[in-house]
Amino acid sequence: MRGADRVSSFVLVLFALVAVNEARKLRLGTLTNPGPGFVPLCLALALALVALLLLWRALREPATPAPPAEPGERWKPVASLIALVAYTFALEPLGFVLATAALLFFFFRVLDGQRWWIALASAVVVSALSYLIFARALHVRLPEGPWS
Amino acid sequence: MELISGLLYGFAVSFTPANLFACFVGVFVGTLVGVLPGIGPVATMSLLLPVTYAMSPTASIIMMAGIYYGAMYGGSTTSILVNIPGEAASVVTCLDGYQMARQGRAGPALGIAAFGSFIAGTLSVLGIMLLAPPLTSVALRFGPPEIFGLLLLGFTMVTYLTAGSKLRAVAMALLGMLLGTVGLDPILATPRFTYGSVTLGDGLGLVPIIMGLFGVSEVLLNIEKGVTQEVFETRIKGLLPTREDWKISAAPIARGSVLGFFLGILPGIGAIIPTFISYALERRISRHPERFGTGAIEGVAAPEAANNAATGGAMIPLLTLGIAPNVVMAVLLGAFLIHGVQPGPLLIREHPDMFWGVIASMYVGNVILLILNLPLIGLWVQLLRVPYGLLFPLILLFCIIGVYSEASNVWDIVVMLVFGVIGLLMKKYGYEAAPLVLAFVLGGMAEESFRQSLLLSHGHFDILFTRPLATGLLILALAVMVLPAVVPPVKRILGTVGEETGT
Repeated sequence: MRGADRVSSFVLVLFALVAVNEARKLRLGTLTNPGPGFVPLCLALALALVALLLLWRALREPATPAPPAEPGERWKPVASLIALVAYTFALEPLGFVLATAALLFFFFRVLDGQRWWIALASAVVVSALSYLIFARALHVRLPEGPWS
Repeated sequence: MELISGLLYGFAVSFTPANLFACFVGVFVGTLVGVLPGIGPVATMSLLLPVTYAMSPTASIIMMAGIYYGAMYGGSTTSILVNIPGEAASVVTCLDGYQMARQGRAGPALGIAAFGSFIAGTLSVLGIMLLAPPLTSVALRFGPPEIFGLLLLGFTMVTYLTAGSKLRAVAMALLGMLLGTVGLDPILATPRFTYGSVTLGDGLGLVPIIMGLFGVSEVLLNIEKGVTQEVFETRIKGLLPTREDWKISAAPIARGSVLGFFLGILPGIGAIIPTFISYALERRISRHPERFGTGAIEGVAAPEAANNAATGGAMIPLLTLGIAPNVVMAVLLGAFLIHGVQPGPLLIREHPDMFWGVIASMYVGNVILLILNLPLIGLWVQLLRVPYGLLFPLILLFCIIGVYSEASNVWDIVVMLVFGVIGLLMKKYGYEAAPLVLAFVLGGMAEESFRQSLLLSHGHFDILFTRPLATGLLILALAVMVLPAVVPPVKRILGTVGEETGT
């Protein structure tokens, strides 16, 4: 995990430095009369300091070869995320029921490997049911799409 | 007797059909999410926040609280039967609970977990009843400097009592506070880090962040690793612990309850740390410490009591000060606020129906839970057989609905997905999410109280050191920072238990 520690703490350092730079653009004020930028700048500087400490600690440890990759299918979370982002932007134009049915079909068919007709049927049923429960029974506002 | 009349009034409130139903739904849903891996009480409560719009304020809080302590019951079931903690506060229960199940004693393990939780829940309700009213009068003397001191104490607690790396927890807490500064400046309303975005103008939402870090990231991790659910194939018989079991467990349950309750009150502790400490304590004082880890019933009873008592204790700072001591209470605070009720020292006077109703409902809820969990245990076990391929799309779907419905803004879903990825990376690289979220919530309050204090004193820092209560809290915060270095046992206990459970 040493290599991983170096990467993660390095990312934190980078993030903190960007935050310091952004916070400097806000009015700082004085110690006794802090402006909007005072607390964010202090926090970003403190985070940079702690992240540097973490990085220093990770670098001091001897680099060990990366542990054998844990068994797992890396593509699955990536594919799910892409599907979820696409769903997010399709939600309002397509409406909840249609977009959700498509998303669920993808999950059931591609990720879980169900037969296509089982996947399709369960996707449609779950999507319609969740619409009825949330939008009709619990009065949660969901996008209706072209069928409003 | 003001207390008795208050409590009787509370029972009257909690026994109205609507509130009783809310209580039932809460503990039922709580048990459900406690049993199901991949979704915990925090994500569920955030998810149901918008649903509470249609309910009365009292019923909403009763339901929300029910989800929390209901999940504490449900979580132990999976720990014992499958060796997978349904939620984090049941991690320790795996150690001896699963061993008991392997020896064919799943029944008594489940039984003592339920009874232990019930006793602890009951004791903690008594504790709230006795402690909350006097603390309310202290809380009335709290101004910005005192609140700042208390919040600082919370930050030091959450980082210095974490089971993992402290430096990493500090980094996460700072990151959380930094994320909390996005939006409008609390005093001057200057936009900060918003880059002209309307979504960011209101600040990052708590619900999208929680759902991302606790819901989405868990699902993403599980679909990568693949979840194997092997329910222990054994008939669960004899749920009632024997007389011998009771004799061994009685004192650990009592100790776990007291420990959990008082630790739960402290900001930054939550329900997880008390379970570790209670387990370590029982093993330390046991005459047969070697039995622990091989199916010792007190190793199930004590931590289960501790996590339930801690949920009760955590209600105290929320009800008396309006400050959330942990992430779950932050969501509960949100539920109060969407109904326009500010929990705090005035709650008991202005909304006695809520104050006493919620407390009494926790007692009612514990009884319902006992009924739900003992005779119906077989039903919950069946739930464990729901294939994850069906479960995870539903969890994701519920997260999306919950986040979207808050403001009908698809960008909130984007925020959730971004935090889902961040949460996944944090889990992989060994960073904890709890300090981040708590600091996110408390950070804004801390900045506000700090700057208000300076406005009050016209820029003099002595305001933090001339008011005895504020000074006391600051000294306590400092003590927590220094304590682990000075008193190694605290560190050692947390360290050893952390290693054993792999957290």
